[in-house]
Amino acid sequence: MIIPNVSNASRLSRRALLKDAATAGVGWALPLALFARPEERAMTSNGGTDPYPIPWLDKNGSHNQPAGPNLEPSHIYHFKGNVARCSTFTGMGTDNQGNRIGFGAPTTDYRVMQGEYWAARAPQRGVFTHI
Amino acid sequence: MPANGLTIRDDGKVFMIEMQDVPIIDQPRWPALDSVATPARMSFKMVWKSSGEPTVYEDASKHFRFTGTRAACQMEARVEVPSVGFWWHSDPLETSKCDFAILGEEVNGRYYDALGG
Repeated sequence: MIIPNVSNASRLSRRALLKDAATAGVGWALPLALFARPEERAMTSNGGTDPYPIPWLDKNGSHNQPAGPNLEPSHIYHFKGNVARCSTFTGMGTDNQGNRIGFGAPTTDYRVMQGEYWAARAPQRGVFTHI
Repeated sequence: MPANGLTIRDDGKVFMIEMQDVPIIDQPRWPALDSVATPARMSFKMVWKSSGEPTVYEDASKHFRFTGTRAACQMEARVEVPSVGFWWHSDPLETSKCDFAILGEEVNGRYYDALGG
């Protein structure tokens, strides 16, 4: 007996199965997946195409760290490409009431990453920023 | 972010991000659990310029290598919260500053390992 391709499972009639099984002498331990509806069939999980976080940052519940000497600039793991970082940002601005309001602090940092990263078991490309 | 939001000069010494009317939320009481989030918009331009000072950061135990230069970075931005009639805009780009900036190239994780660490 030829076990049908899973995608053809819906065409396997009970009569044909009984006939083929009898002639071929196969057992009845056919995989349940054979009769599963498409949405119920087990699939290989490749994960999403979102980037991996940096493991030692993720372990502590964070996906970023301030930019600084000898600190990894990227916030994407399995990454190769362009990266720019800055921290300790300061500037001034004005609101609609004319109030002068500053922005930035010692922990204010920004970054951009552009290039290839690995996710969903395949190389992906993207541009990411954290403002 | 859309790829056209980032411009890198051919010599790799200037990076510029520019985006207009990016949908964001204004959440003044974050991270309070009952913090109210209000729709807002942000436009910004940020420019990194290389200083030319070579910089290499590498940590084999963390599987990364950064090769680039120190840089200067400046930003100008505008934020609007239409529902409360609030807006704020920064002074011109040239008036902002930061004490630390870098730009360059990085490899980490499997790409670092592929280079033999």
